[in-house]
Amino acid sequence: MTTLEQTASGFVTVARVGDVEPGAVRVVEIDGRSLCIGLTEDGEWGAIDNVCTHDGGTLGEGELDDSGVECPRHGGRFDLFSGRVLALPPVRPVEAYETVVDGDEIRVRL
Amino acid sequence: MALPNPALSQIPDGYKFGWHDSEQPRTTFEKGISAEVVAEISRIKDEPTWMTDLRLKAYRHFEARPMPKWGADLAGIDFQDIYYYVTGNSDGAAQSWDDVPDYIRRTYDKLGIPEAEKKYLAGVGGQYDSEVIYHNIREDLEKQGVIFMGTDQALKEHPDLFREHFGTVIPANDNKLAALNTAVWSGGSFIYVPKDVHVELPLQAYFRINTQNMGQFERTLIIADEGSSVHYVEGCTAPTYSTASLHSAVVEIIVKKGARVRYTTIQNWSSNVYNLVTKRAVAHEDAVMEWVDGNLGSKVTMKYPSIYLLGERAHGEVLSIAFAGDGQHQDAGGKIIHAAPNTTSLITSKSISKGTGRTSYRGLIKVYPGCEKSKSTVRCDALILSDEARSDTYPYMEIDEEDVTIGHEATVSKVGSEQLFYLMSRGLSEAEASAMIVNGFIEPIVKELPMEYAVEMNRLIQLQMEGAVG
Amino acid sequence: MTLTQTASALDAEAIGRISDRHDEPAWLRALRARWWQAAEQTPPPTGQEEEWRRTSLDNLPRDAGLLLDAPQLETHLPSDAAQAGVILTDLRTAIREHSQLVERYLGRVSGPASHAHFWALAQAAWTGGLFCYVPRGVSVDGTLVARQTMARADINFHPVSLVVAEEGSSVTLLEEVVSPDGATGWYGGIVDVQAAQGARVRYANLQQLGDGVWRVGAERVVVGQDAVVITLNAEVGSKVTKLGLDVLMTGKGGTSKVLGLLAAGDDQQIDINTVQDLAADHTTSDLLYLSALYDRAHASFYGVTNVRHGTKQTSSYQECRNLLLSPQAGAEPIPVLEIAANDILRCGHGATAGAIDPTTLFYAQSRGLDADAAERMIVRGFFEQVVAKVEDETIRERILAALARRIGSTEANS
Repeated sequence: MTTLEQTASGFVTVARVGDVEPGAVRVVEIDGRSLCIGLTEDGEWGAIDNVCTHDGGTLGEGELDDSGVECPRHGGRFDLFSGRVLALPPVRPVEAYETVVDGDEIRVRL
Repeated sequence: MALPNPALSQIPDGYKFGWHDSEQPRTTFEKGISAEVVAEISRIKDEPTWMTDLRLKAYRHFEARPMPKWGADLAGIDFQDIYYYVTGNSDGAAQSWDDVPDYIRRTYDKLGIPEAEKKYLAGVGGQYDSEVIYHNIREDLEKQGVIFMGTDQALKEHPDLFREHFGTVIPANDNKLAALNTAVWSGGSFIYVPKDVHVELPLQAYFRINTQNMGQFERTLIIADEGSSVHYVEGCTAPTYSTASLHSAVVEIIVKKGARVRYTTIQNWSSNVYNLVTKRAVAHEDAVMEWVDGNLGSKVTMKYPSIYLLGERAHGEVLSIAFAGDGQHQDAGGKIIHAAPNTTSLITSKSISKGTGRTSYRGLIKVYPGCEKSKSTVRCDALILSDEARSDTYPYMEIDEEDVTIGHEATVSKVGSEQLFYLMSRGLSEAEASAMIVNGFIEPIVKELPMEYAVEMNRLIQLQMEGAVG
Repeated sequence: MTLTQTASALDAEAIGRISDRHDEPAWLRALRARWWQAAEQTPPPTGQEEEWRRTSLDNLPRDAGLLLDAPQLETHLPSDAAQAGVILTDLRTAIREHSQLVERYLGRVSGPASHAHFWALAQAAWTGGLFCYVPRGVSVDGTLVARQTMARADINFHPVSLVVAEEGSSVTLLEEVVSPDGATGWYGGIVDVQAAQGARVRYANLQQLGDGVWRVGAERVVVGQDAVVITLNAEVGSKVTKLGLDVLMTGKGGTSKVLGLLAAGDDQQIDINTVQDLAADHTTSDLLYLSALYDRAHASFYGVTNVRHGTKQTSSYQECRNLLLSPQAGAEPIPVLEIAANDILRCGHGATAGAIDPTTLFYAQSRGLDADAAERMIVRGFFEQVVAKVEDETIRERILAALARRIGSTEANS
């Protein structure tokens, strides 16, 4: 998709290449929403909801191992790309957002 | 007048806790924990990189997390005053009882396991200090594809299966003690039961702490594949020492669709041990998970076996007994999380506090939205036997789905004077009568235990009751 | 009704202004000052405390103007009771007309530990309230009623209701609090019930605050030797209710029944903390809290039964039942026991949460009622259980009328 097409279908820019170290996550506040975006060691970008479904922990302040985002509060893990639960104590998945790299912009479909 | 249980006469005379063999551990680190100690443990065990990394990450989490502010008083724990790794006196794994070194066999004999029983044991993973020194898998289990070995060995022999499940039920940062365990774990049992295999006889393990200031950090992982069933029994005893010991185990259990697992523990750690355990199971569709938890010893126990009911029609049960004598605090209970419709749960807790002992039931029933037609019943009964004793009940409930039936009931009572009078008028001493009443009180749970534990349990209660009356 | 004009509604200056405005006696000024100091020294809860974990005070409208002149309190006191020396007036009038009597009892006890800050605040900054006093040996027939109506909701108001029953007396009092819907405000009323030896007190509090009002209050009941105290707290209104209720059984042979009911809907949050403190021999304390939750309402209940070390033959029971009547309603009933004595007659608790039992619903519908009518009838029956324990017809009627929206009108089951 072209940038224009992306924007038309709901993609917004949340970060730039270099904003996040490989193997890390961070918090991005956009359009009234709080997201956790991450870059794996393999160079793939992903974005999920920032709030852990277990006890409200801030996922973007956690750690990223392979593609698992570890919540800093109790260690629960979610897949960075699908949002599914990889480790308890959360039982409900978080929402995941389609992520594309457009030039040096990281764009997410909200 | 003899007590009515003939099985008791089989207990060897002179059974008392407080014995121990002279210490001869072979390899011991300096006391205390650090990233170097953690890395060294992993190096000695020759572990893959991912495990070393996980241990170090867990150590970081352990350092960063504060101790829990609720529950029992943990001020007596000095993490730097503990040996974190000790190997045993054996020369590696033994394949049969005959191979087990003499003084270790003596230890097991003192537990009063009749010779005949040993033949029926399906396999025993015994642990002397931190190393699994005995494991035995009988031919039929091997034929069925059941894996039962020490956790260290499983990491080497079944790396994919291990990695797929390890840390998914209790992650490294779940709580401070789980983080510690993930960093320094050693020993424990690994069990995998293949689809539709039913392990008829209970798999058992015994271990004990035998070094001053020894921490026990075994890590157990049980995976019951679809339609399978297994019963794992764990019981341990420890000699008394003057300085505190720390026991911080982690048990993860995965019960897949239609499978069934029961995990029975009787712990009777000596009265200077801090027993802080994280035990959790996940039960998938149509699965059944049962924790049978007996807490008799230790200075402080904090343990809340948990079950996450993730699949429809899963069922979870926790049967818990706690006995607190002088100076003991048993803070135990169970947690059940309903995360799917039509799930059911039952928690039954019986606790007894005597002397200056304190029992606290602490439990949680949580029902997520969308779990309609779920049912849960919690029943806690406590006996309080002296005016210095204490009994607490803290039953938490978080119910966020309307179409459910959730109930909790608890009672606290003393030994009825009419009951006591009746038994004494039949010739029993007050101690004997009290023991009988207490044994009757816990009978609904004791009857779920394998025979040798039931017998041991009743005998221990008697010993306790002889010490104090009323 | 007048409001203060200061930006921060409550400070030492505002306290002084309250006293000035009504030319208060010296003892009262001093009392307020002491309580204000206590309020400053007892900081508000951080949210880490067990009793405060479930309800955040972040949006408590602390800056709403402090109401300086309480609206008229409507009271109903039969003339023969007045002749016997019974007093039922607003607190200000009581201080004017019975200063010494009020001085003996006002502000003498500390409130529930979990709500200490708010108790102190109300004792310092009250601008209204009621005084109900029954002299020794006097038995009041009929039901005393006091109704506090506030014409507006967007205020900060912390009345003190002081109920004193002297030895051997007997009284039934219904206190109602009503404010309109709409604006957001803070009602921090506290209730102080003191029942002396052998007194019999029935106290009901019917809260119908507006849907924007935060109710953060506390209630303290002291039960003397052989006294019998029945309290009923009915929560119908408010946006958020956070109530701390302590019942102290300090006298041998005392009996208390702690009753509560709440019917919450929309996005209401009700969070109740109770303590039944059995601190004397042969005391009895039974608690029954029932809630019906609609829409997205949420009720938390954290109640502690504390049987003190060395007491003999106490009897206590705690029961909390929650009817969940919509998919998004939620309940957290946590009845806690802390027992340090072994010579107990009886001790237990129970808690339930869930939907109406399908069999019950089916039976009701099979009698010709549609689903809504059946539900209303069942909820009425549910609440009747707790209201019946007060054994007072006036209280029963007023409370059921306040619940009409949920259970239908009092005449028919339609």
